[in-house]
Amino acid sequence: MAAISLRALTKVYATGITAVDALDLDVEPGEFVVLVGPSGCGKTTALRMVAGLERITSGTISFGDREVNDVSPRHRDVAMVFQNYALYPHLTVYQNIAFALENKHVPGPQRDRRVREAAEVLGLTDLLRRKPRQLSGGQRQRVAMGRAIVREPAVFLMDEPLSNLDAKLRVQMRSEVLRVHHSIGAATLYVTHDQTEAMTMGDRVAVLRDGVLQQYATPRELYDRPANVFVASFIGSPEMNLYEASLEEHHDGMAVALGSQRLGLPDQAYRAYLGRKVVVGIRPEDLGDPALDRLAGATAAGAHSQRSRATLTADARFAEMLGSEQHVFFSIDATPAGGATAAGSAGQAGLLADSEPNGVARLDPRSAIRAGGKVTFSVDTERLHFFDPDTGRAIEAAGD
Amino acid sequence: MSAPPVQAPPAAATAPVPAPQSRRERRRQQRLAEREDGIPAEFYGLRRGTVPLLTGLAFVFAIFTLVPIAWIVINSTKTQANIFETFGFWFARPFSFFHNFSLLFQNVDGYGTYIQWFGNTVLYAALGGAGATALSAFAGYGFARFSFRGSRVLFYFTIAALLVPITALTLPLYLTYAKAHLINSIWGMILPSMISPVGIYLMRVYVDLSVPRELIDAARLDGAGEAKIFFRVALPLMVPGFMTVLLISVVAVWNNYFLPLLIFNINTRYPLTVGIGLWSERAQNSGNAQLFPMVVIGGLVTIIPLIALFLILQRYWRSGMLLGSIAN
Repeated sequence: MAAISLRALTKVYATGITAVDALDLDVEPGEFVVLVGPSGCGKTTALRMVAGLERITSGTISFGDREVNDVSPRHRDVAMVFQNYALYPHLTVYQNIAFALENKHVPGPQRDRRVREAAEVLGLTDLLRRKPRQLSGGQRQRVAMGRAIVREPAVFLMDEPLSNLDAKLRVQMRSEVLRVHHSIGAATLYVTHDQTEAMTMGDRVAVLRDGVLQQYATPRELYDRPANVFVASFIGSPEMNLYEASLEEHHDGMAVALGSQRLGLPDQAYRAYLGRKVVVGIRPEDLGDPALDRLAGATAAGAHSQRSRATLTADARFAEMLGSEQHVFFSIDATPAGGATAAGSAGQAGLLADSEPNGVARLDPRSAIRAGGKVTFSVDTERLHFFDPDTGRAIEAAGD
Repeated sequence: MSAPPVQAPPAAATAPVPAPQSRRERRRQQRLAEREDGIPAEFYGLRRGTVPLLTGLAFVFAIFTLVPIAWIVINSTKTQANIFETFGFWFARPFSFFHNFSLLFQNVDGYGTYIQWFGNTVLYAALGGAGATALSAFAGYGFARFSFRGSRVLFYFTIAALLVPITALTLPLYLTYAKAHLINSIWGMILPSMISPVGIYLMRVYVDLSVPRELIDAARLDGAGEAKIFFRVALPLMVPGFMTVLLISVVAVWNNYFLPLLIFNINTRYPLTVGIGLWSERAQNSGNAQLFPMVVIGGLVTIIPLIALFLILQRYWRSGMLLGSIAN
């Protein structure tokens, strides 16, 4: 039985805005589930409903086999870490952590032991007598976690707990949160707007948009088989390149017509969409430098990868060298299809509309491809994603 | 975003300052740091001379308000004759402050003793002020952090009550009191003093600013009951607002003249305001001129406890209560 199950959970505000729309979600015992989406997608509202801090319009929330719709937050036995920590400023770290146990009337010696254990797990032992204002951001975050784990709750909720930390600390705390999660093993619902956090932390990830669940799957599956255009563009950084295209007959097989170019497809899997408009998605890392591909092809599984390689000629506008990889921003004469944002971060670079890049490739840093002028990318056509332009849903490859 | 350090070191110290040790030194450092935080007046874009001009005006106004206090201090040392015959803003022999002061403990004209009225005032102000502050804290917190049916309308009524002058209510108040047997009852004085629309309004605004909803949410999830949340989580954060309302309410009861005048006709129940008023009237109209020095020194002694209260409560007006609690 799921530790947390949401059935058709809906929240409509008095203003008529639907924040959460018929959300179905199961969190298994010990599972770490991330609720991710852009700001305003209803993820925090959903979490607050689970906590009991927000009234439910319709639907049910159960913990195990106990329906908790009408249980007050005080009696739900959920622990929550707030985005801004919400520490009691006038109490010491010790008192902050002990507060919940005090309310449960846990006897003194046992309370003391549990507070010290929680502090131990989080490395707060030396700070127990400090007040929150004497702590750094990361330490406050730990206290907020300590306050939650000391209760040994069945259900653990976290509302963007890392968003107030600086980038370096955030990465550090990601693994810390997971370590703590594994040590206490409570079913956890974790809200974030950061897809990297979602991908790196979640056993399963639920992508939410405008209050509607888009896809609920493992990070791997979200990345490899996004259910729709939104998930495809939301998950992954840099974003997936999405273009309007059509599927055509090509020599003896099929091809994608992408602007004025044709990319031959390795098989007939999408024959049902022949002659129709589609949205094609290309992950930046599925574009490569043909020169480097040939080197790699000479070694292993070359024959296969050659068959699924097509080439794409583009106008490279500028490049960002990151050391471990480089991002080449380019434009092709195809129309970008609406993702979360059309050209991603590239938009800020171009002053003139026609010079704005509409795609990005993620290349090996050794690649000789540079910005300025025509370049040719190799495309791994086995890894193209196709979506229905009307519904935005992914087009399933027919079984072969 | 980390919160700024509690104790910012004074920027650009002229010489290396050793680590501040004493409490006094730390306070001084903090004041310096606070001054550093402000924008210097010359950056406001004001015309040259504006700041000295405004400072001068404020100075004139300060003198204007302090003159009566200076007068009362000076004249409390004079005999009855000297009050009228010597220059009002300078001292005159004989020095009779202690003689005047001793009169406050005597029933000079058979109409009542100052010290008794003083005791009454302390009683009314303590109970009324404490009650008003407690009720304001409860009501303000309730209005600020709970939404219930009719909460808005109720709050509008509270605001409206601010606008009605008490004099307009004289007759209905007196008639109600007569029916309720509250004439000459100390409860007739104390109960109405516990209702403070200003206090409720101030507490509501203060709670809105200083008690974050997240903190209350966190306490609820931590399993605390509403009463415990109020006393253990919210109230400590409300202390500066609480003390402000306490001061305002105590001062309001202390200085209340109209209500006790209306409901008391037994001299031994009078507070200071009515008692001194009675003396003043008798000194002027009944030829009891020996009461004049007592009115003066009585007035002086009356304001001293309020000044003391202000100085005692001052330490509670501090900022930064929430530091470390809420990120950003």
